[in-house]
Amino acid sequence: MTEPAQIVRGDGRLLASSRLAGTLNVLGVYILVAALFAIGCGISREFLAAENLLNALRAVTLMGIVAVGVAFITYSRHYVDLSIPGIMALSGTVAVWALQYGIVASLAAGLAAGLVIGLINGMVVGCLRLNPIIWTLAMMSVLSGVIRWAYAGRQIYPDEATAAGRAFLDLYHHAVFGVVPLPVVVLIIAAVAGHFVMRHSGYGAALKLTGSNYEVARLSGIRVKRVVAWAFVISSLTSGVAGILLTSFNKVGAVYIGDGYDFKTVTAVVLGGMTLAGGRGNVAGVMGGVMAIALMNNVMSLVRIGEFTIGQFQQNIVQGAVFILVVGINSFSRRKAGRDDA
Amino acid sequence: MLAPAFALFPHTRVVYDRSKAGLELGACRAATGRAKAPMADIGDDIGIALRMEGVSKRFPGTLAVDGVDFAVRAGEVHALIGENGAGKSTLMKVLAGAFNDYTGQVSLNNKPVLLHSPAAAKAAGIQMIHQELSLAGPVSIAENVLAGRLPRKGPLLDRRRMLAECRQHLARVGLELDPVTPVEEISLHEAQLVEIAKALANSPCILVMDEPTSSLGREEVARLFEIIRRLRRQGLAVIYISHHLPEVLQIADRVTVLRDGRKVATEDIADVTSARLVEMMVGRNVATLYTQRRGRPGAVRLAVRGLSRWGFFHDVSFSAASGEIVGLGGLSGAGRSELARSLCGIDPLDAGRIELDGRPVRPRNYRDAIAAGLAYLTEDRKAQGLALRMTMGENMLSAIIPRLCRFGLFSRRRGEATMAELIGSLDINPPQPRRMASALSGGNQQKVLLGKWLLACPKVLILDEPTRGVDVGAKVTIHRAIAELADAGTCVILISGDLPELVGLSDRILIMRRGRLIGQIPRGQAGETSVLLAANGEGRLAPA
Repeated sequence: MTEPAQIVRGDGRLLASSRLAGTLNVLGVYILVAALFAIGCGISREFLAAENLLNALRAVTLMGIVAVGVAFITYSRHYVDLSIPGIMALSGTVAVWALQYGIVASLAAGLAAGLVIGLINGMVVGCLRLNPIIWTLAMMSVLSGVIRWAYAGRQIYPDEATAAGRAFLDLYHHAVFGVVPLPVVVLIIAAVAGHFVMRHSGYGAALKLTGSNYEVARLSGIRVKRVVAWAFVISSLTSGVAGILLTSFNKVGAVYIGDGYDFKTVTAVVLGGMTLAGGRGNVAGVMGGVMAIALMNNVMSLVRIGEFTIGQFQQNIVQGAVFILVVGINSFSRRKAGRDDA
Repeated sequence: MLAPAFALFPHTRVVYDRSKAGLELGACRAATGRAKAPMADIGDDIGIALRMEGVSKRFPGTLAVDGVDFAVRAGEVHALIGENGAGKSTLMKVLAGAFNDYTGQVSLNNKPVLLHSPAAAKAAGIQMIHQELSLAGPVSIAENVLAGRLPRKGPLLDRRRMLAECRQHLARVGLELDPVTPVEEISLHEAQLVEIAKALANSPCILVMDEPTSSLGREEVARLFEIIRRLRRQGLAVIYISHHLPEVLQIADRVTVLRDGRKVATEDIADVTSARLVEMMVGRNVATLYTQRRGRPGAVRLAVRGLSRWGFFHDVSFSAASGEIVGLGGLSGAGRSELARSLCGIDPLDAGRIELDGRPVRPRNYRDAIAAGLAYLTEDRKAQGLALRMTMGENMLSAIIPRLCRFGLFSRRRGEATMAELIGSLDINPPQPRRMASALSGGNQQKVLLGKWLLACPKVLILDEPTRGVDVGAKVTIHRAIAELADAGTCVILISGDLPELVGLSDRILIMRRGRLIGQIPRGQAGETSVLLAANGEGRLAPA
């Protein structure tokens, strides 16, 4: 009769370690944020300047908006939407094109264009069960082709002579109540809404079950296809919003504006404790991941040792390494604990 | 993992060396030349290809195989039979090298061997043919048969030799197929024979066949048996696992019966009958405690007419009343789970009508079915029943997410009171809804799964193996819960391979065989023996 006791002990230890890992996953990213903050303070005096910190956050606001949507896809265990740069570019260019019908029509058309792509992605990946990586990769290629073709490779510019054009260009710089930049307001709304939907809606509960175990969800009466499809639609919405804001900032609608957002956002999502295995993590953690990337890039840009500085290229290397490290540690520790039922 | 196992059993340490052990097929053949021992129980070592002595394998909480002695002669077909959970597959897994912590002695051709890894078992000349084929569909027959040891010419594949060798191996099982044909282009029974050819290509000494006829028609079975007989003449020792007693009586020379992890007996096939075998398999006292039912079956709740899903079940008609527990008996593969899944809209239906409380229902998907009052508790708890990395509470509420929503807002609190009550009445231990499902024991996981469907309050609950792999205590609790559920008016359909459970709980038992409902046994006449005989196509049955 000694054996059952051993089993319980073994189980208990496993449980404790997994609970610790779970807490660390979400809390851990904020510990990382704090650590980066401390490093920043130590490395340079400029770091703590309000101007610098605001710049650091401004640089990731749009990425944060996109990351909220991507979080839904990762949560559903469909990894990432690689067509995000394409959706951003499409929403941006369509919005610029529709400026001729006024600012409201422009925004509506831009968002609608993104949503249509999200709907197609959702139908194909959710309902037809195609591999999400391959399908969205193909969608990306199609989108960039379509945009280049439509404008014969040229870029299009909002017309500053019209009121609508001026309103569009003001979007990114508009300050709500005269203080808070509009993108920040959008980010806060997206994050709060995303967190609420994921944690407190019927859809969120169904999404969690689907992401944790697709087959169990199906055999619990969840309409899994629809649930997955919606995740792609949500992601396309946030991508569209970010695409329009980015176009407003760049003052140009072009095919390349969203480049890099696919990988950067999924890095933030994973860093924020939402594992690729699905059904774990939350939007609060993802926001921590976005902040960590902001500080990481900022700290790196402040490093100056003689002639040596860390530029954009080196930052890309570090981001890639961080992604591999986080995903690697995560799956390794779960496999070690015998918990990788994914 | 390996090191401590070796430390525990230092006496079993041996060196694997095929040539030393003399395990080539030729050696096996030489051994068969001698006279067979006349008696069933083998006392001498002459012609014994495999001997297992006092083999045990413990899983947490159960002794799956308990001191089994088992010997197979070269040149005989030895059937291994027993109910589900009797220990057949565990014993064969020991032989296949799946465990490194079994106890007892295994010898091949009178030389002790240590089967602590699949590679070691293969090297020792043991080959398995499982129910599920292990062939790669898009790859040619030749590459499948010779997988892992394709003939080479320097760094290149020696194609001509590969094809020639493959033809030779195919000829042994009487197949004349072109070796370059991809496996997915040949029929299922041909694939089964290719699988055998692949096993034989490794020149085994022992060939284990697990339900080899489950996917075969009558003529193909006859052909397979001819091949098995030829292999027997060539001196191969064949271990034949099957639930189909007529086949066992036809093909086997001797039969060993297992029950509850122990060996009941080994008999010459000439000395036994189906009835005797069933008696040995069942054996135990049926007086196990089954709670007395209080309720009486009420009005007809579920009526199905001519239900078919081509290839799985055909023209199934029956009805079940509220407050009734209807057992569904039959061998594995008889189409019971498939019937249940189609009934609940999980799998498609090709024909037939379903009526619930007199109204026709036709669930397009499982969600519709749940809303209409049908529910199915899956037999595969880990892959289809519970999301193990979610908490126990989340799992219990997972089937009623739509009901816990108001205006799209999800609140666990609405279900928590009922859930807490269920956790108490099902005696789930520890009663902590926030605990991870993966941290619960098998019995408690099964209770959580049952609780998940009880919370959905179905009118008809179909239970597929509700106590598979659970301990006795949990079993009693689950049985009590099922009886209470029926007493409260739910119509319960019980699919179980656990015969005492099926007989003890059911008000009547419908028998399915090869996709058809062949009849029913009323409660008074249902016994484990009658059910098992009926499932094998023997005995008398009342029309359903």
